[in-house]
Amino acid sequence: MAHYPEPVARLIDALQRLPGIGPKTAQRLTFFLLKRPAEEVRELSESLVAVKDRIVYCQTCFNVTDADPCRLCADPARDARLLCVVEEPNDLMAMERTGEYRGRYHVLLGALSPLDGIGPDDLKVRELLGRLENGTVGEVILATNPNVEGEATALYLARLLRPLGLRVTRIARGLPVGGDLEYADQVTLSKALEGRREIS
Amino acid sequence: MQIGWIQVVEFRNYRTLNWTPAPRLNLLQGPNAQGKTNLLEALGMLVTGRSFRTSRLAEIPRWGAESSSLAGELGRGEAEPAARRTVRRTLTKLEDGGWQNAGEAVEWARAIAFGWQDLEIINGAPGARRNFIDGFATRLYPAHLATLVRYRQVLARRNRLLQGGWQGEAGAARLEPWNEQLAEVGMELIARRRKAVAALQTELARVYGALSATRGKVEVRYRTALGEASEPAALLAALARARGAELRRGQTLVGPHRDDLAIEIDATDARAFGSRGQQRLVALALRLAEILPVTEAAGTAPILLLDDALSELDPGVRAEVLRELGTAEQVFLTTPEPLAVEGAAVFRVNGGGVAAA
Ligand SMILES: Nc1ncnc2c1ncn2[C@@H]1O[C@H](COP(=O)(O)OP(=O)(O)OP(=O)(O)O)[C@@H](O)[C@H]1O
Ligand SMILES: [Mg+2]
Ligand SMILES: [Zn+2]
Repeated sequence: MAHYPEPVARLIDALQRLPGIGPKTAQRLTFFLLKRPAEEVRELSESLVAVKDRIVYCQTCFNVTDADPCRLCADPARDARLLCVVEEPNDLMAMERTGEYRGRYHVLLGALSPLDGIGPDDLKVRELLGRLENGTVGEVILATNPNVEGEATALYLARLLRPLGLRVTRIARGLPVGGDLEYADQVTLSKALEGRREIS
Repeated sequence: MQIGWIQVVEFRNYRTLNWTPAPRLNLLQGPNAQGKTNLLEALGMLVTGRSFRTSRLAEIPRWGAESSSLAGELGRGEAEPAARRTVRRTLTKLEDGGWQNAGEAVEWARAIAFGWQDLEIINGAPGARRNFIDGFATRLYPAHLATLVRYRQVLARRNRLLQGGWQGEAGAARLEPWNEQLAEVGMELIARRRKAVAALQTELARVYGALSATRGKVEVRYRTALGEASEPAALLAALARARGAELRRGQTLVGPHRDDLAIEIDATDARAFGSRGQQRLVALALRLAEILPVTEAAGTAPILLLDDALSELDPGVRAEVLRELGTAEQVFLTTPEPLAVEGAAVFRVNGGGVAAA
């Protein structure tokens, strides 16, 4: 039986560990890369290393950043009275793309997920409570995904925040069923933000 | 509605089949294991995108094939070409070994299928009756399916938390958001199921009366531990009462996944009926009773896929069933033995081929 040379096999193996990539796709990607100019491939490998070396989580909002605090947290023009809670950094990006939101963010780095054993202590919930202590924030917008995990997370947070006496809102439904914020188009997401309602 | 033509490729025991059925009653005859049920499955899948027989897509492609495809023309009304749609559906094997089911939905297309497994609605476990009413409710209100999927997702996650044995306040706080979702989505399911039962009732009484020699009085009722309640609060309260038992068993013990239908003939549980023919007749009557409400909801009549629907029925009842089918739109009826019906188009199914008889 024929074997691929070790570096080829190693790359196929590494690519295969990425989500959504099976053995056939990993092989296709490997042979695609082999055909590309050396500098293009070097650029790819360097950018892979750079995300690990230079990117950290902002210790205020837990967005990914190359400077802590991140640009959004450091920007004095952003309204500190509004705090939008999202699951992942890509949800934050989706919200930013609408161009409608001028407040600040808090990234939970996940959602409540019993099937994956993820509970409140595995999310940046304590850190969220810490940010609310000084009373600056007047409204928390729960913009977790519209799937059952995101909904559970929003309900959990709503209950937790209720005693603090601030306005707690949930972005409107009408997002694609079971979909992610990430894939919602800008108009839909702006509407969801605009149509947010207080949750009890 | 009607299927104008269908093309079946690498589907069950069919390699390729191009077939033009008749607009009304189609009789599909042939010996056992020739592909009659498979053809009904293909027709149903063309119309709805799903198999009425299995949820395991891997079973469907012809053994060894990496894909299956269906194409065909669906039409409503007889004349206007605007009311015709060519649809294509494919099942493709993915890299991870799963199967992808692709094809667009046709909002008005509906199929009602009857098969031997429908006897389970009468004498099987409650799950078979819930499946029946959920299938019917989905034909009436397409959003029911998404609600059902969401309910199952919430239920699985809530059960996992219950199995985790979270006690005390921390456990209650963890369960809370799942209780709320279960109650909300669960009540939505129950409300639609109740509406579906109500929509079935009148037609069921009429159809069963027309088919059965005894003209028995048949009744369906939705049975839930929640009684007549329709507010999520009622389900939340029931969950709170069941909490101790749920933690011990690691399972959600109240909600629409525990509900049932009561099917009674002359005030006797249909399950208790000794006669198998009578049970089959009630099961068939349930499917035929779907036709009118589904037609009203979809704006066009559904196609009927009746697998061996006449077997175990006596000649008198068969004649009544055929008379009832005479009023339907497009019907596909399989029989293992030859059968003569006036005005019907007869086809022979043999080894994965279909020919006019
Ligand atoms: N994926 C598949 N690939 C190839 N053959 C299949 C596949 N699935 C089922 N079959 C075969 O198709 C044959 C015909 O099945 P089908 O259920 O349509 O028969 P039938 O004509 O309805 O017979 P009966 O009168 O016994 O109900 C069976 O022998 C079965 O083994
Ligand atoms: Mg069969
Ligand atoms: Zn930040």
